[in-house]
Amino acid sequence: MTNYGLVIDQERCIGCQACAVSCKQENNVPMGQFWNRVLTEGGEKMDTPSGGYPEDGGSGSLDMQYQPTACQHCENAPCVKVCPVNATYTRDDGIVEIDYDKCIGCRYCMAACPYNARVFNWDEPEHMPEEGTGDVEARPQGVVEKCTFCSHRVEDGLDPACVVNCPADARIFGDLDDETSTVSKYINEYETDQLLEDRGTKPKTHYISGEMSPGRPQTSDKMESELDDVSPWSDGDDDVPSKEADSVGSESSSSSHSVEGGEIPYATPAKSGGDD
Amino acid sequence: MSDPQQPRLTPIDEWEDEAEAMLDDVEYDTDLGVQMARDAIRVSNGELTDAEFHEKYHEAVLEEFGEDQRPTKPEGFDDD
Repeated sequence: MTNYGLVIDQERCIGCQACAVSCKQENNVPMGQFWNRVLTEGGEKMDTPSGGYPEDGGSGSLDMQYQPTACQHCENAPCVKVCPVNATYTRDDGIVEIDYDKCIGCRYCMAACPYNARVFNWDEPEHMPEEGTGDVEARPQGVVEKCTFCSHRVEDGLDPACVVNCPADARIFGDLDDETSTVSKYINEYETDQLLEDRGTKPKTHYISGEMSPGRPQTSDKMESELDDVSPWSDGDDDVPSKEADSVGSESSSSSHSVEGGEIPYATPAKSGGDD
Repeated sequence: MSDPQQPRLTPIDEWEDEAEAMLDDVEYDTDLGVQMARDAIRVSNGELTDAEFHEKYHEAVLEEFGEDQRPTKPEGFDDD
């Protein structure tokens, strides 16, 4: 069975907010609301480090990392358990979604979500431009909304907008139940964390930190499972680069590319959504 | 409400205050929402089963919302 999940390589993330912006555009997210946010781990304010500059020949202690955060599509989602009208539910493919026709705006799900991933439409949603953006209908006033892993795109075989538009190739989407998928391989191969693991929610978003992965350069809008040539490094059966393969590199052919050192293969500019 | 300019993950010791603020002016029972949120995390943690959670709040949910459609309902559970 399909079980969608996301890997975010924090070592690749450059904090550019392209994921947040493309999410807003693709999903017609109202003004003042964000489904997808890039937190700063470090100083008190956005894009500020903790620690201090080197002084008197010292080494300094500046430290900062980006923490992209959205709905974690938890396997044990507390938001699903508290919804009295079953408006928040888990789909067969693992995506946690909201039926906006059922939502009564009680916000119990917001209180139960440990990730602050949900937003509430206090007022009639405003969009810029007024007619809205992207391929998703605006949600009415009085309902809770959140990231859907771009389920409307996934159903068409396309990666979520935040994944396609990440210029650092830091976001990899795929089937966690398919051991040959890049997400599964990276989770096995790299040290990954889930947010607030102690709360037992079993998030389906996994974060790589410590050692940078090769990411997954986007060669099209399509999900990995929809591609014949699964990745730009494809050289046959096992086309997800391992740490060893990454350091060695390989000869390119018409259907394959190599990754050497920090080099990122050419990726076709991805569309920002809206008319896919 | 989290500030979208510098959102954050809520430290566990501050969560309850934030949950109460979220539900402050909701037209439904704030205390019930906070208690259910707290226990839903306990379910995730394995400290409480789905069935125990469902039974604990079934009557209160029915009273507050007039229905209880939560997916935690155990097999054979008597709605009445």
